[in-house]
Amino acid sequence: MPKYADDPTWADIVPLPTDEGGPNPLAAIAYSDDYSETMSYLRAVMAAKEHSPRVLDLTEDLIDMNPAHYTVWLYRAETLFALHSDLRAELEWLNETALAHQKNYQIWHHRNLIVDRLCGEEQGVVDEEGLWKAECEFVEQMFERDAKNYHVWSYRQWLVRRFGLWGPVELEFTERMLARDLRNNSAWNHRWFVVNGRAEMEGDGGLGVEDPEVRAREVKFAMEAVAKTPQNQSPWNYLRGIVRKTGMSLGHLKGFAEQYASLKEPDEVRSSFALDLLAEVYVEEKKAKEAGEVLDLLATRYDPIRKHYWQYRKGLLGVEGAAAA
Amino acid sequence: MSLAAGPGRGGGADTQLPDELALVVEKQVAYIQSLDKRRDELEYHLTEHLRISGVYWGLTALHLLRHPDALPRDGVLDFVFSCLRPNGGFGAAPGHDAHMLYTVSAVQILAMTGGFEELETRFPNGKMRIAKFIADLQQPNGTFAGDEWGETDTRFLYGALNALSLLRLLHSQRTDEPPLINVSAATAYIKACQNFDGGFGVAPGRESHSGQVFTCLAALSIAGELDSYLGEEGKDRLGAWLSERQLPSGGLNGRPEKLVDSCYSWWVGSSLAMIGRFHWIDQKKLTRFILQCQDPEQGGFADRPGDMVDVFHTVFALTGLSFAGYPELDEVDPA
Ligand SMILES: [Zn+2]
Repeated sequence: MPKYADDPTWADIVPLPTDEGGPNPLAAIAYSDDYSETMSYLRAVMAAKEHSPRVLDLTEDLIDMNPAHYTVWLYRAETLFALHSDLRAELEWLNETALAHQKNYQIWHHRNLIVDRLCGEEQGVVDEEGLWKAECEFVEQMFERDAKNYHVWSYRQWLVRRFGLWGPVELEFTERMLARDLRNNSAWNHRWFVVNGRAEMEGDGGLGVEDPEVRAREVKFAMEAVAKTPQNQSPWNYLRGIVRKTGMSLGHLKGFAEQYASLKEPDEVRSSFALDLLAEVYVEEKKAKEAGEVLDLLATRYDPIRKHYWQYRKGLLGVEGAAAA
Repeated sequence: MSLAAGPGRGGGADTQLPDELALVVEKQVAYIQSLDKRRDELEYHLTEHLRISGVYWGLTALHLLRHPDALPRDGVLDFVFSCLRPNGGFGAAPGHDAHMLYTVSAVQILAMTGGFEELETRFPNGKMRIAKFIADLQQPNGTFAGDEWGETDTRFLYGALNALSLLRLLHSQRTDEPPLINVSAATAYIKACQNFDGGFGVAPGRESHSGQVFTCLAALSIAGELDSYLGEEGKDRLGAWLSERQLPSGGLNGRPEKLVDSCYSWWVGSSLAMIGRFHWIDQKKLTRFILQCQDPEQGGFADRPGDMVDVFHTVFALTGLSFAGYPELDEVDPA
């Protein structure tokens, strides 16, 4: 049943079917699909450079059917801007669309364009705080469905940078996310970003973990997470990130690592990441024999799939002047 | 070239014992060939926005399978040229806007099929016009946009360097001409994408992801800065993160606590190969996982055993097998 061919609103348009592949009997069947018909109307309006309200209807229809078609999004944005359309209404519509199409990333790029335009166009008029709060709320709603969606996290970071949200409210948000799932590596990454991003990327003050108080707070935060989930690589990586960035000695973490893995109780290891860290501590202490024993435990018992990696690490001990058996 | 999923599922017949897992080369070739004959399906049209990349993936798969001529070269080239836009970029399919990703796919196809001469015949000064399209997308901070709308992504940056290198138009390949792009600004941007855990994200601050690790390493490699930037210590650290992507099933994931997926055989595998540490993962287990994603009846690979096969996972599963030294397959170039 053709949707557009019988619609008087579209009677002036000669649809442009795709010319892909040239004459092909099978292709003819596909043109009976709604989607192909709708696309042929889009091609026609694009060829005529038409920007009108009905183009918004047409692109909405197409996006509902196939949100991954980047050309449709671009033409929709162009049309919205040309018509000076109500961009808040566009955001409302995007909420529904994003919830219906979780995996799509064009939606987020489009949203980005709209919010940016809204702030630029109505500068001084628009309630920026109200806008970012609503955006943050919507993002959190998205995370209820998929808390690791890469595109949504990208958008969240964009909001933080665009509106300067480097404060405690955003930190609390990462805590809410991690309270739901301590293994959410995306949330850990976001925490690092909120704590250090200003110093690393904006260059306008803030020391991140290089501030001793912040460092103590973040080390404690990661350690508490390890206590709840010892075999969770995210907080261990976070700790190592702090060590690396601040030049803090690994020795400070020895006692902590030994709570989860120790050479004295090789049968009671609760975390392969603790073993890994312990091996490095021993290297720092120039105890190559102990380091080798820890690496053996990893290669043979606690992470055998990466046996070659652990053996390589053990091989490096030889350089330190110790006997690598 | 259809990007539609199916018809088969990875794993196929339940009766297949693990010992009997083997690559079904002829069926894989037939599967790729069949993708061009599925235009009566709705999904064929729904995936039009990826079409030219699909052709590239299919062709790469056939090269790996040592059947490079299983798709008609003339037909492939006709299709590629039909995607070329007057601005020197390529769209995903005829009538689509030019975009970096599809321009890169087009250049890769032209390089693989030796089509640059035809390009110059049909589109005078074509190589330079494509290069100009790409160069114009570079942003002041060194990165590249995908199109005139300005979305940036390290994938586009890698794509730009890769395509220019295939066109032999990088400054290092023609030192007597002025450079088309600012390579050092591009690599500086890549370095800013490295995270506290040693991996790379899609932009500064973004979570490490094996796909982005691949694009960043490959870009550094093309720019000739991989060794000098990472050094042995940096390679060890990154290799540790990458090898941690292997889970007990043998498959690889894209980031911590995510599911394994056969396509990461390529993103993780080629990254490890570029830094000379592929042997850190268990190759036997990886091979076995990948073969469990194969449909032994009708060909094709899925992301995981039991899911529908598609061309994207087929080519990247094959590259994984090739890295792991599977016989009957050509070797791949990691970057
Ligand atoms: Zn995949």
